[in-house]
Amino acid sequence: MRDKLMIGRMIPTGSRIHGLDPRAKIAAMLLFTAALILSDGWLPVVALAVLAAVVLTATRIPLKTYLRAMRPLRWLMLFVFLFQWFGGTGAGNADEAVWAWTFGPVALTSSGLSEALLAVSRMALLIVFTALLTFTTAPSMLSRGVEGLIKPLARRGTGAERFSLMMRLALRFIPALLEEAQTILKAQAARGADYEEMNLREKARLLLSLLVPVTVGAFRRAEELTTSLEARGYRIGAPRTSYRGLAWHSADTWFTLLFALLPIAALALRLTV
Amino acid sequence: MRGWIKRRAAGKRNSEKRLDGRNPVGVAPDSVSCPQMAADRSETVIELTDTDYTYQAGSPFAAAALYGVNIRIRRGTLVGIAGGTGSGKSTLLQLLNGLLLPTGGSVRVLDHMLVPGLHKPKLNALRRRVGLSFQFPEQHLFEDTVEKDLMFGPLNFGIPREQAQAQAVEALHAMKLDESLLKRHPLTLSGGQMRKAAIASVLAAGPEILMLDEPTATLDSAARRELILLLARLCREEGRTILVVTHRIEELLEVADEWIVMHEGRAVFQGDADELGDRADELDRWGIAVPEPLKCWAEWTARLPQLAALPLPRTAQEMARRIAEAVHQSANPSSSEEEAGDLGRLEASVCATN
Amino acid sequence: MTRETAAELSGVDFAYEKEEPVLRDVHLRVGRGEWVAIVGTSGCGKSTLVRLFNALLRPDSGTVSVFGEELTEHNAPLVRSRIGMVFQNPDNQFIGETVEEDMAFGLEGLGLAREEMERRIASYSDKLDISALLPRHPGELSGGQKQRCAVAACLAMEPEIVVFDEATSMQDERSRLELLTVIRGMKNHGGYTILSVTHDVDEMLAADRIVALKEGTICADRTPDEFFADPGLLRSCGIELPFRMELARQLSALGLCDAEGEYGDAAKVGRFGSGSEADQRRGTRS
Repeated sequence: MRDKLMIGRMIPTGSRIHGLDPRAKIAAMLLFTAALILSDGWLPVVALAVLAAVVLTATRIPLKTYLRAMRPLRWLMLFVFLFQWFGGTGAGNADEAVWAWTFGPVALTSSGLSEALLAVSRMALLIVFTALLTFTTAPSMLSRGVEGLIKPLARRGTGAERFSLMMRLALRFIPALLEEAQTILKAQAARGADYEEMNLREKARLLLSLLVPVTVGAFRRAEELTTSLEARGYRIGAPRTSYRGLAWHSADTWFTLLFALLPIAALALRLTV
Repeated sequence: MRGWIKRRAAGKRNSEKRLDGRNPVGVAPDSVSCPQMAADRSETVIELTDTDYTYQAGSPFAAAALYGVNIRIRRGTLVGIAGGTGSGKSTLLQLLNGLLLPTGGSVRVLDHMLVPGLHKPKLNALRRRVGLSFQFPEQHLFEDTVEKDLMFGPLNFGIPREQAQAQAVEALHAMKLDESLLKRHPLTLSGGQMRKAAIASVLAAGPEILMLDEPTATLDSAARRELILLLARLCREEGRTILVVTHRIEELLEVADEWIVMHEGRAVFQGDADELGDRADELDRWGIAVPEPLKCWAEWTARLPQLAALPLPRTAQEMARRIAEAVHQSANPSSSEEEAGDLGRLEASVCATN
Repeated sequence: MTRETAAELSGVDFAYEKEEPVLRDVHLRVGRGEWVAIVGTSGCGKSTLVRLFNALLRPDSGTVSVFGEELTEHNAPLVRSRIGMVFQNPDNQFIGETVEEDMAFGLEGLGLAREEMERRIASYSDKLDISALLPRHPGELSGGQKQRCAVAACLAMEPEIVVFDEATSMQDERSRLELLTVIRGMKNHGGYTILSVTHDVDEMLAADRIVALKEGTICADRTPDEFFADPGLLRSCGIELPFRMELARQLSALGLCDAEGEYGDAAKVGRFGSGSEADQRRGTRS
């Protein structure tokens, strides 16, 4: 009965960030990402990290929770780190490096290490900011935010609306589908196929066998859902009014402007240095 | 996959069936309940001692599901587990085959002891002897033939292919399904057949203890009755211990030996149907509707106090017989005039129409 | 009593796949304000039948008419606003992120102004006693609560015909009885025509009429009294007498006359009719 999924769950603390218009928050995230990509070197990344820290504190959600959000991706981050360090631009900057170890084709340099850490830091910041978005915005508001941002860009008609319904339903049902998959795994475990105790090959086989009931289940749900939608008079393209509109306030404007400055500043920094 | 499972299961070859010298009980034609059987019936196969369970313990989303549960279940009994939504009954089942480990107290099932903090215990030996059928089990079928699905469990537990095949057929028969279904794709079966086939796939491994979570959900009354009688037969004739989580007490009253009521994570009642009847007024507080048979019996016992000495009749037919006997007994010539007068008044009240 | 026709099927055939007809030459007339229970074994076509009324399915032959108008491609959307449906699985009909949003979903489709939507949501959530649940996410609700929210969302669209498609079959005992009370309330209100596909005996007993389907055709259309007095019919529909009724039947078979008066709420017990009919039946039964 309980929705036990943690990823993407909103944690209501009533902070000012929670109260911001979702469009502003999504725009901020996109701008932040752009700034991260444009950042070249420790100075901009640290500056962004400081800004992120300030916003994080403003959400009144404990730092521990944000760190937890990174947990599922820790192996990926390690991989990126090692990849950058071993195979990155390290070799190229060997002369710039403070120190260097070379074993055959592989060169580990301090500048390579710096690059690798930078890459991981960028990743971490991105994850944390995304977590911030989901922790402070209810999924329905998120989808409305995306809808709102797309609307001026899309042609009049069905495109944006269909997309937003798709998003809404996905957000609504992904936790349920995951829970169902979990139950099926448990049922398999009860019959002797314990996922936890298998090697990689066996795990892969088991997951493949899961595919059938999960897919059938998803289709069944989809069918019942569409029947329900139709029964409630939903028609693609038919005009609809909106129950909960989004209200834009001055705080949203300031917030977005602040974040709009970031990629500009990052670009400027990059060009002048 | 089979290799390591075989190593685990080696040496743990319990007999799949418990027909070890036990005489099948002659079942009375109009009633399914049987007299108590031999001594090994009293062996406790499941024992929960101060068991707690908390979901995601230690995280900000921790949610307690079970508190201080103490339950003992004897071998060969059919136990009904009732309770409202959120009472913890489904969680309870998952603790009994190790899918969940208790966060407090202990759980003993057969000769396995489950306590908090066990590091990755190997539980297949337990799971072979304790089968669990989740709600809507037909949604978990995944092989392309019924036979393969039925054999999935036995093969995982290290049973050789030929025997697994034989056990699959046996399980099918136990659920009153025809062998012709073996080669069919599960999704081509009717809803009722899928449900039975899914339960058969849990049965195929030959568990001594069979646990079912609301096996009759969404079935119509005839199908429900059929399934429950099948389960009762598995219990009486094959000596399996059967636990059925249900929210419709009525349908199991006829066959259950014992009842456990869960409420908000605690086991608030364990006893037989009569004891349940005695505490009928608490059922509402526990989020359960009082089943009609208990209501009817309470009404009749109020009218004919001599009925209170009798155990709760399991079927309508039996109840009617007891009532009729009591009414006719009161017409015994050795009774006083007063009683006869009472009887007259009683018959009059019984026959009054609205 | 002839009421105005709310909905009617005439000579309807339907098949999902050509070789397997699901409905054959079905004729059914539902009067305004009636509560009709549609029963039969699984797979007999009951759910298919009710989906013809709001054009979720189109018949292969025959006509479907609602409030006197024959259903066509064009008036289907209009008809859908007058017929509401509540389905079996409380999860798969819950569209919104919160109860409030879910109720608003149908209303948005009707093109209502925000104030009207707010008014209806407040009104119907109050009637269904779910006002406290409005901000909640479906994952936090029990099956019974979700189903009540589904009914609220349906009624908020102010339909004239409401169809319950096995709406109580996934519910626990308590929620089932609560839902029944809701449906009874709707019936007493008088403004709704109710169709309920069910195999729940209490629902059948509370209805005005029971229509039984067998292999795609209607094999019986009786009042609950008549229906439950026919054991052969009950068996062919896979329905068992509820305990109380079975007990009364057994008692009368043993010579104690029908004691329905003693059992309280007459609506719950089979109405075996007055004394003389009961005597007659007793003779033919055991």
